[in-house]
Amino acid sequence: MSNYIPTIGLEVHVEIKSKSKLFSDSANAYGMATNTSVNVIDLGYPGTLPTLNKEVIRQALRACKVLNCDITRKMHFDRKNYFYPDNSKNYQITQNRTPIGTNGYVEIEVDGVKKKIGISDIHIEEDTCKSAHRGSVSLLDFNRAGVPLIEIVTTPSISNGKEAMAYLTKLKEMLFYANISDCKMEEGSMRCDANVSISKTDVLGVRTETKNIGSIHNVGLAIEKEIERQEKVLETGGIIREETRRFDDKLGETILMRVKETGNDYRYFIEPDIPYLELTDEFINDSLKTLPLLPDELKKKYSEIGLSSLQIEKLINNRPSNDYFLGLLEFKTNYVTAVNLLLSDISSYLNKHNKVITDTHLSYEKLVSVVDALEKGELSNKNVKDLIDSLMERDLTLEELKKEFNIKNITDDSFIKDIITKVIENNSESVNDYKSGHDRALKYLMGQVMKETKGAVNPKKASDMLVKELNK
Amino acid sequence: MSKYLDLDIRKIHELLVKKEITPLDLVDEALSRIEENKDLNAFITINDKVREEASELGEVDPDNLFFGIPIAVKDNIVTKDLKTTCASHILENFIPIYDATVVEKIRENKMLIIGKTNMDEFAMGSTSETSYFGAPLNPHDKKRVSGGSSGGSASAVSGGLIPLALGSDTGGSIRQPASYTGIVGMKPTYGRVSRYGLVAFASSLDQIGPITRTVYENASLLNVLVGEDDRDLTSVKKDKEDFTRLIGEDIKGLRIALPKYFVSDIVDEEISKRIKEVISFCDKNGAVVDIVDMQYLDTAVNLYQIIAMAEASSNLARFDGVRYGFRASDVNSVDEMYGKTRGEGFGDEVKRRIMVGSYILSGENAKTYYDKALMVRDDITKEFNRIFKEYDLIIGPTTTRVAPLLGNSKDDPHKAFMDDVLVIPVNMAGLPGLNVPVGKNSEGMPIGLHIIGKAFDEATIYKLASFLEEVF
Repeated sequence: MSNYIPTIGLEVHVEIKSKSKLFSDSANAYGMATNTSVNVIDLGYPGTLPTLNKEVIRQALRACKVLNCDITRKMHFDRKNYFYPDNSKNYQITQNRTPIGTNGYVEIEVDGVKKKIGISDIHIEEDTCKSAHRGSVSLLDFNRAGVPLIEIVTTPSISNGKEAMAYLTKLKEMLFYANISDCKMEEGSMRCDANVSISKTDVLGVRTETKNIGSIHNVGLAIEKEIERQEKVLETGGIIREETRRFDDKLGETILMRVKETGNDYRYFIEPDIPYLELTDEFINDSLKTLPLLPDELKKKYSEIGLSSLQIEKLINNRPSNDYFLGLLEFKTNYVTAVNLLLSDISSYLNKHNKVITDTHLSYEKLVSVVDALEKGELSNKNVKDLIDSLMERDLTLEELKKEFNIKNITDDSFIKDIITKVIENNSESVNDYKSGHDRALKYLMGQVMKETKGAVNPKKASDMLVKELNK
Repeated sequence: MSKYLDLDIRKIHELLVKKEITPLDLVDEALSRIEENKDLNAFITINDKVREEASELGEVDPDNLFFGIPIAVKDNIVTKDLKTTCASHILENFIPIYDATVVEKIRENKMLIIGKTNMDEFAMGSTSETSYFGAPLNPHDKKRVSGGSSGGSASAVSGGLIPLALGSDTGGSIRQPASYTGIVGMKPTYGRVSRYGLVAFASSLDQIGPITRTVYENASLLNVLVGEDDRDLTSVKKDKEDFTRLIGEDIKGLRIALPKYFVSDIVDEEISKRIKEVISFCDKNGAVVDIVDMQYLDTAVNLYQIIAMAEASSNLARFDGVRYGFRASDVNSVDEMYGKTRGEGFGDEVKRRIMVGSYILSGENAKTYYDKALMVRDDITKEFNRIFKEYDLIIGPTTTRVAPLLGNSKDDPHKAFMDDVLVIPVNMAGLPGLNVPVGKNSEGMPIGLHIIGKAFDEATIYKLASFLEEVF
C-alpha cells in the first residue's frame, strides 16, 4: 500500500495588515463590533465603485520579495463571478491573469534535509463577509468584507504532512516578521486549504481539496489522514473523486463537504472599474525599503555575534525581545550576556506584568550598564534578580539603584576574603581533601562561599580568590 | 401660468438675480407642466421635498448660472433619500443612502432636483419600452417612442417640462433619444464625468452626460459635471476649462470627416438628404468636409452585444435580495431566493442580456467572444485616432431613422440594437459625441446630427453644434 507517491499543494490566504480595506476606506480592523466597519462600497451598494489601497500593493510587493517571487509590473484585477450571500457584489475582485508575484519559493528543512517549496503565484484579492448560521437564519458581518488578502499558492511540490507543516511554519514566521500579516490561524488571518492526490505513476492522481484547516498541526494531520484515506479507497478498488473536504479535528479525519461538479465556471474577466496598474521602480524600491530583517537573515547575523543556536531560536520566537535586541546591536557590549538577561529575568518580568519592553524604563544604555557590570563582576545575577523590578520600572541609573540597594561590597576584595577565610576555617576536612587532590572539595567550598554571601559575589572572582587562599 | 421655463437659462438667471422671480416659481412651473403632461410618462418619481428645497434657496443670493434651476435626473443615478429604481421592479422601492458624485455637484450649484426620469430597465434598451413603469412618449408625436435608454430625460426636456436633465450613455443612450426628440445631448469623453453613483450597466462604456434644449446650456451644464473623482478610478484629471469658450466662433478652417458608412443605405433617405445639406452649409462657411473610409464601424453593434452584456451580467449580480431591494417571499433556500428574486425582479430584456453575458464569459467562450471583442475594440479606437490625425471632428446622422412608433421593435430584440448602430462606435472608443437637432422630416419628426470629437475635445464639438443650431 505504501508505494503510492503523494503530491500536495497548499493554498494559503493571509490577511494583510493595513489601515483600511482593499477597495474602500473603512478600517481594516479585527474584533470590532459586528457591522461597524462597513460602508456602501463594502456592501456592494448600487452605483459604488472600488478605490485601490496602495498600502496593500506595497505589502504584497514585500510578500513577493520575502517569498522570492518575480514581480509583475503591469497588472490588472479580475472579477471572479459566483453567487454566495457572503459575497456582497456576487463577484470577488481578485487577480486571475496577472498575479502580482510568480515563480517563487520557500526553503524548508525537515529532518536535516533542505528543500525548496515552489510558489506558483501570489495574488491580491478581497475577503468576503463572515457568516454565522443560527438555526434557519444566516447572519452576515460585513466588517471582513473587502479586507485585503493575499493568496499564496504552492506548486504541487510538497510530499507529506511534515513538509507542509514546515512550509507553513516558515511562511508564518516570515510574513509575521515582515509585518505583512498577523498570521493568526485561530483568528482567521491565515487560512490554509490542502490539495492532496496520490499516484503510483508519473501521472498525478485525482486531487481532493481539504478546506480551511484550523492550525498548522492539523494541516499536517489532515494531509496524512487524507493520504491514508485515498490509499484505502484505491486499494479496495474505489476511485477518488474531485471533491471538497474538511478536517474534523475531533474525529481526526477529513469529511466530505461536496463533490465538485464539472469544473467551476467563474466567468473571469478584467475588472473594468480599476485601470491597469504599472509599478515603477521607485514605487517597488520604496515599498521594499522598509522590509525588516527576516528569520534566516537574523539567524546568520546572530550566530556571527556568537549567540548559541538555542538563544537564537528563543529570541526569534520572541518577537518583541528580538526587535529590542536588534536595537541593542547599535551598542557595544557582551551580546551573549545581554540575550541571557533578555530571555530570563527581563522576559519573566514582562510576562508577569504583561508589559512590552518598550513600555519600561529599561533603556539600551541602562541594559548595557547592567551587562557591563555583570561582566566586570561588579554585579551578580542575584543582584539583577533583586533589582529587576526597579530597573524596569524606575527612571534611575544602575549606579543610583546600586546605591539605594546598598550593593557595593561584593567587589570589595577584603569582604570576600573575610568570608573565604571563615569558610576555610570551618571546613578543614574539605580543605585537606582539596590539598590531597580531590577537586570535588573545591566545588563544595565554593558552594559554601556562595551560601555565605547569599550569591552576591561574582562566582569567577570568588573562585579565583578561594583557589589563591587554598594554595597559600 | 407663467412661461419662465421657456426662457434661455441666462435670462432666467438674470430674473433670479434681480429677484423678479424665485426658485420656487420655477419649481412650481415645472411641477405643473409635469402634471399637465403626465401622459408623457417622463418621470418615475417626483421629489416631494423640492418645493421646500426651493423655498430655502429663495433666501440665498444666486451665485452661479444654475442657481435655483430645476433639473431632472435619470433614475439610474443615485440620489440620497430619493427613490432610485433603475425602472426595475427589483429596485422599485429602493431609497439610496448616498448621492452620486454628479448629484453632489448639482446640489453644490444649488440646482433643484425635480424628480427621477423614466428609462429602459437598467438602461437596457433603445426605446425606454423595457421600463417596468411603461414607456415615456415622444412629445413630437405621442404614438412614437422618445428613444432610449434616457427616454424620460429626453421626453421631459423636449416637452418643455424641464430645461435640464442628466442622462447616461452606454451605447448611445443620451444621443439617440436626443435625436428622436429634437434636443441636445452630449456623451462626454470616458473618464470626463465621475461614474460614482451611476448604477453600472457596462462599466467600460457608461458615461453620464447633459441633456438640454440648447448647445450653450449643454456646455454650461457639462462645466458643472466634470472633474476627477477619488471615488472613480476611471475618472481623469484635466485642467479646468470652459466648454462654452468656442461657442459663437465661426467654423472657418475646421476639418470635418464624414465616414462613408454614416451615409450608406442603412440611413433613411430624408435623413441622408438633410446631412448633405448640413455638409454643404459647413462647406460654404469655410469648413473642409471630406468623405472618408473608416473600418470596423459596422462591427460596433456586435462588440456592444458582447462587451456590454458580459459586463452587465456581472454588474447586475449584486441584485440578489440579500442586502437591498426586492426579495421574493416563500422561499426555502438561498438558491431558491436568488432564483425567484431575480426571476420576478428583472424584466425580460434584462434577463436576456444577463443570460447572453453569462454565456459569453463562460469557460472557453470568454476567449472566443470577449477577448476577441476587446481586440476589435482596440482596432476601432485606432481607426478613430487615425482619422483624428487629419480631422478635428467626425460627423454623421445620429440615427438611421426618426423615432419609431411604440411597439415597433418589441418583438425583435436584435432590431432594437440597430437604432444605435451609428452611436455605439463612440462608446467603444471612449470618445465624446453629441446630438444636435438639424430640423425635421416631412412627418415633423426631428432629425439629429451626430458630432464626434477627439478625446477630451468637447469644446470643438460645441463650437460646430452651436454654429449649426442657429441655422437648422
